[in-house]
Amino acid sequence: MIRFLGICLIISSTSAWGMLAAEQYRNQYLQLQYLQRLLYRLRSEILYSRAFLSEAFRNIAAYQEEPYSGWLLDMSCQLEQRQGIRLSAIWKMQTQKHLWDVGLPEIVREKLLHLGEQLGSADIDMQVRILDLYLGEMEHIMEDMRGEQKTRIKLYHCMGVMSGLLISILLI
Amino acid sequence: MLENQILRILPHRIRETISAEHLQYMFLQEIRLRMEKPLLLIYRGEERMPLVKSGRPYLVTKEDLKEALEYISNYSLYAYEQEMKQGFITIEGGHRVGMTGQAMIENGQVKNLKYISSINIRMSHEILGCADAVFPYIICNRKLCHTLIVSPPGCGKTTLLRDLIRQISNGNSWIPGMSVGVVDERSEIGGCYMGVAQNQLGIRTDVLDGCPKAEGMIMLIRTMSPEVIAVDEIGTVQDVHAIEYAMHCGCKMIATVHASSMEELRKKPLFDQMIAEGRFERYILLGSREHAGHIEGIFDERGSMLYQEGLREMHRASVE
Repeated sequence: MIRFLGICLIISSTSAWGMLAAEQYRNQYLQLQYLQRLLYRLRSEILYSRAFLSEAFRNIAAYQEEPYSGWLLDMSCQLEQRQGIRLSAIWKMQTQKHLWDVGLPEIVREKLLHLGEQLGSADIDMQVRILDLYLGEMEHIMEDMRGEQKTRIKLYHCMGVMSGLLISILLI
Repeated sequence: MLENQILRILPHRIRETISAEHLQYMFLQEIRLRMEKPLLLIYRGEERMPLVKSGRPYLVTKEDLKEALEYISNYSLYAYEQEMKQGFITIEGGHRVGMTGQAMIENGQVKNLKYISSINIRMSHEILGCADAVFPYIICNRKLCHTLIVSPPGCGKTTLLRDLIRQISNGNSWIPGMSVGVVDERSEIGGCYMGVAQNQLGIRTDVLDGCPKAEGMIMLIRTMSPEVIAVDEIGTVQDVHAIEYAMHCGCKMIATVHASSMEELRKKPLFDQMIAEGRFERYILLGSREHAGHIEGIFDERGSMLYQEGLREMHRASVE
């Protein structure tokens, strides 16, 4: 009886791990989608209203959820204060503070840091092209994720159950 | 306030160097940053070279210029693209930042500047009451005359124009308050920041910020029905046509133009015709012989001198 209960416990915990991994993968995609929408808004603010970055961040933050709204508002405040810190440093600091653990893929986070070094120092055409390039790269990553999503989620679920079974057999 | 406005647009190291000079910022006229050259200040009309701890002049680096450009443009250089074409931008408080570098040409016109190598920050100074001396000469039967302020660069024409606008708008002992429309193409008159004028322009003043002068004057006439229109630094054919149009619409004009004397102004084909036609009823000539904003003379439409600093002193002495 105890053995049976132990096996059930092992299988259910490894299955839960598989489901968690699948959920994380799904969440990564949702976060990417959210960030993509946010950057499209930033693109529009720059292109159509020629708003300063601080103003654009504040306008966009009003329609976002945490941690994105906090990320944008903190950046906006720091930019308005002009305390002698460069934009790339402010962007890096706030991105690492707010978005580092949000679930974005590592490659996207690295590219996001790099984007901060290119914002605000170019003319309008260049600025929009820089954002388009980043959004294009994001789109590629999302496309790959979309293609793999179903398979990956199934794989995580199966691996959860199968690893539980394997551990149980080994223990018996 | 002024200290904060000035220091926040400078790179961190330059902020510290200037702060160590213990300046009275109202007397600071210019800050010049040239790549690999000493930092220069124009203070109380004299050049000053701030020194660092080692006793040497502070040398401006490429990174300093990049950093300054970020703060000057509020981290958003793209928002100043139109102004950059002219080689300068106006920042919060109406201070003018001139730049030189390599011009990017597109279709034969300057599209932008890159590799910025020099930055010149010219402080805007609001001097309330500096127009008091000219009011007796530009008012005729309690009515304002079309007035053109003539002056070389840096002699205070925008400062005088700003105070004229404020006093005309609020009203004073010479005239009742009038509605004034200001076309502030380079945000120098009002020093608008996010649409709000930072300088005092009076209670009956409407400011059209960042709009080309010729277009702006016509927009103001159609939308705000101003009694007086004020513009800074006229110079193109379109500006002159718009001024004539505004005058024909019954608006009083106050404008400024670059020239060091009436003779020089007459040599400019556009203005020669305007003077000959008697469009402007008063010309205020400014100079910097004694100080910036020194009134050299005031002339009527026929070119007769109504006011001269020397004559005024002689008259005062004879009365006494």
